[in-house]
Amino acid sequence: MATGTDQALWYKDAIIYQLHVRTFYDSNNDGIGDFPGLMQKLDYLQELGINVIWLLPFFPSPLRDDGYDIANYRAIHPNYGTLEDFKAFLAAAHARGIRVIIEMVLNHTSDQHPWFQESRSTRDNPKRDWYVWSDADDRYKGVRIIFLDTELSNWAWDPVSKSYYWHRFFSHQPDLNYDNPEVFEEMWDVMKFWLEIGVDAFRLDAVPYLIERDGTNCENLPETHAVIKKLRKRLDESFPGRMLLAEANQWPADVRAYFGDGDEFHMAFHFPLMPRIFMAVQLEDRKPIIEILEQTPQIPENSQWCTFLRNHDELTLEMVTDIERDYMYDVYARDKTMRLNLGIRRRLAPMMDNDRRRIQLLNLLLMSLPGTPVLYYGDEIGMGDNVYLGDRNGVRTPMQWNGGWNGGFSGADPERLYSPLISNPVFGYQAINVEAQKRSPHSLLYWMKRLIEVRKSSRVFSRGTIEFLQPSNHRVLAYVRQFGTEKVLAVNNLSSSAQAVELDLRNYKGSIPVEMVGRNLFPRIGDLPYLLTLGPYQSFWFRLRRI
Amino acid sequence: MAEETLLSDDFLRQLMGVGEVDLMVGIPTHNNAQTIGATVAVVEESFRQNFTRDRVVIVNVDGGSRDGTPDEVLKSITETHPSLRGLTSLRTIHRITTRYTGGPSPGGALRSILAAADLVRAKACAVISPQSPGLDTNVVKNLLQPAYRENFDFVAPLYSRHKFEGLLARLVLYPMTRALFGRGIRELHSTDFGFSGKLATQCLGEDVWGEDPVRKSPEIWMVISAIASGLNCGQTFLGPKVQPATTSGTDIVTAIRETVGALFWCLESHQDFWTRVANPEPVPTFGPDHELTTDTVRINRKRIYELFQKGVTDLSPILKTILTDQTRTEVERIAALDERNCRIENQLWVTVVLEFATAYHHNVMNRDHLLQSFVPLYRGRMYSFLAEHHSSTPDEIEKDTEKLCLEFERQKPYLLETWKAK
Repeated sequence: MATGTDQALWYKDAIIYQLHVRTFYDSNNDGIGDFPGLMQKLDYLQELGINVIWLLPFFPSPLRDDGYDIANYRAIHPNYGTLEDFKAFLAAAHARGIRVIIEMVLNHTSDQHPWFQESRSTRDNPKRDWYVWSDADDRYKGVRIIFLDTELSNWAWDPVSKSYYWHRFFSHQPDLNYDNPEVFEEMWDVMKFWLEIGVDAFRLDAVPYLIERDGTNCENLPETHAVIKKLRKRLDESFPGRMLLAEANQWPADVRAYFGDGDEFHMAFHFPLMPRIFMAVQLEDRKPIIEILEQTPQIPENSQWCTFLRNHDELTLEMVTDIERDYMYDVYARDKTMRLNLGIRRRLAPMMDNDRRRIQLLNLLLMSLPGTPVLYYGDEIGMGDNVYLGDRNGVRTPMQWNGGWNGGFSGADPERLYSPLISNPVFGYQAINVEAQKRSPHSLLYWMKRLIEVRKSSRVFSRGTIEFLQPSNHRVLAYVRQFGTEKVLAVNNLSSSAQAVELDLRNYKGSIPVEMVGRNLFPRIGDLPYLLTLGPYQSFWFRLRRI
Repeated sequence: MAEETLLSDDFLRQLMGVGEVDLMVGIPTHNNAQTIGATVAVVEESFRQNFTRDRVVIVNVDGGSRDGTPDEVLKSITETHPSLRGLTSLRTIHRITTRYTGGPSPGGALRSILAAADLVRAKACAVISPQSPGLDTNVVKNLLQPAYRENFDFVAPLYSRHKFEGLLARLVLYPMTRALFGRGIRELHSTDFGFSGKLATQCLGEDVWGEDPVRKSPEIWMVISAIASGLNCGQTFLGPKVQPATTSGTDIVTAIRETVGALFWCLESHQDFWTRVANPEPVPTFGPDHELTTDTVRINRKRIYELFQKGVTDLSPILKTILTDQTRTEVERIAALDERNCRIENQLWVTVVLEFATAYHHNVMNRDHLLQSFVPLYRGRMYSFLAEHHSSTPDEIEKDTEKLCLEFERQKPYLLETWKAK
């Protein structure tokens, strides 16, 4: 991929599509998606308009945490193909102008990883100190448990080595010990392996938890940032133009630290924004969105927030207040089966009660608020979920390509699929699938393609500043994005009823608003408040032109 | 010609911005810049604590302040942002302000508040005085919740008071309302009360806003209207009644004009109702019942006695046109007694009040003068009460009040008879 100052910031202009290779397309009819299958669907993704694919873990793994429990960092799980298959896919993606982000789980491995098997075998094994061991389980007291629904402690007893090991996630995912320089060097070597193959970026999972210290909450420690800085330095020196994306589920002020002075992560997810988008639409009040963004600190010029609506995990409600969490549970997860680990394990469309207008509104917000947007696979056609599948598997069901055999995902026997398809009359593959939506120019899929096209037509969205307008009608969220001399006014009706709003646009007096989808002219902005009326959940994007 | 409208364009625009709400707090002001900020802060905090998920608005209606009161309403930033973590409230808490027309008056202010409540379709509303030193978040909650969650239409306050405070309510307003309208509302006249959106819309539609009693004591008319319409009325305990430090207290003549006058006017306007009410019903109370305290206070009883005596003497010709000969003679006899023996007992007192009401109804004289001439007689009753109860316990006072209520009920047929007489 070309580098150069502007290209070096390619991640700012990215539209990221997140998927698990297992879910996408099965080329060998074993019921599991694979890399050759994914490669066959690259045209679809290119046509959709995305330009980056983020792959969930595909490494050899016992799959007790959907691949985040890695047993071999330098191979492909045989379910998904071979390393050669991956390389072929990568080349095909690059040929279409699509970059690829892969997961890199730095914090922990599977307990089946040879490193851990060695580490636990004896106390004087060379890899003993690659993990965090203790004779007692009383160190790092008070540190919160992340997987509350399944874990009672961050320490697990190992009967083999007759001592405890530290794990911030599942007990079968022992934490690596980054106080040991060998660990860092080995993980860098792993990353180099993939960088040399050609991957464009890493999403570093669970980075706040790399280092532990007594008397702290073992999150976001200075030593953790030191590890990241070292990684970034090596990356920039040896592989300029590649990118690191942080998964740090923290408040914006704490995530800020992960950008460093432009010398840590290039991007980080804005976790607290996401539930507040959902909250704002349900409350019909812009306050949650504006407040969290006003609390979001400035980040270095070469850094970028990563925004999303839904992903493979539960919609996390860790970074909200108790009042907010209760509200979200009550409105979006009244059935307790939908709740997991302080979050909600549902997809976008079911959460929006399959209301096309609300689905569109949320995507419009995603695409027009600051940050690089991530689309979760299937959300472009409005896929549903199955909350009865356990853990977060209900949002990881096979992609629905058509209304035929196995939804077009696989030629295998349906019983052999890695997961049952969504099959109810509302969200089932017979009703919601790519083929059906490709046949209608009014489908959600077409609309999403058009939305991505409009988003990509201006760098205002990917690189611009944001100025919130504060009309008295709190149901309307309005802001101006600006990049250089280019300005776009976004106006969003968050409510289920028609709204009138008067915007103070005196700073843009004389500009002509041009609606960006239909490219129709609207009245020139003058001294008086600019009156707009919006239908339920309607949005406008206006390019403000001066002629 | 276009009809004059209650709402200015600016106010309407602000209401449009607010949209539909669940709860509204109206704060009428006139030169309250010193205290309005704190009032708004308490209301907002109450919204945050008690009505987290509800759509809310604070509406300030101003009578033409010259001290910048409306600016203070909009300026008061009450969210303290204790940390950068999370929100201070789920929803936008709107604050809007408008100047109502017609000069400062409680009726003008309330009418604008009702109009706002109607347009934003508030389910429950409260009116809060900007000069309530005892205001805390529970006061706001206790005024709103009965209407919002329990389907009450009018919510009157209940206070903990000194046994010698609020005597106009105890000796006239409460027992008379209970006997005649069938509901014993303890604090008929108050600057803090709650009501439902339904009642707001109903009252807004009445053509009474030009009437003097409604301009001066609109809440008395409002609660009587609610009772007469068969709507649910309740009372809610708000804690101690704390008087604002800066006010010297309304003089007794004004107080009687505005309260007794309003009640007499309501008797007229709702005679179809109270003339048919048989037995009083209890008024549901939220929280503890009202309380009486018995701290030692200094009251110049002698002065009250002297004013009673002088008033009866000076107004004798006027009292002839208001009271029956028998009643007037008895009043004059008691006024001539020494301090130790001067007592207007319940029976005579109720007769006096009812004859005044009848005289008001029959327009025997200018109503304002009539109400002024009631003042010395009220002082006589007040003196009697203070003398009789100077060392009474709260229970004893309540028992006496109950007797007074029963006396009003007993004499209701007398009122009916004289009311209808030509």
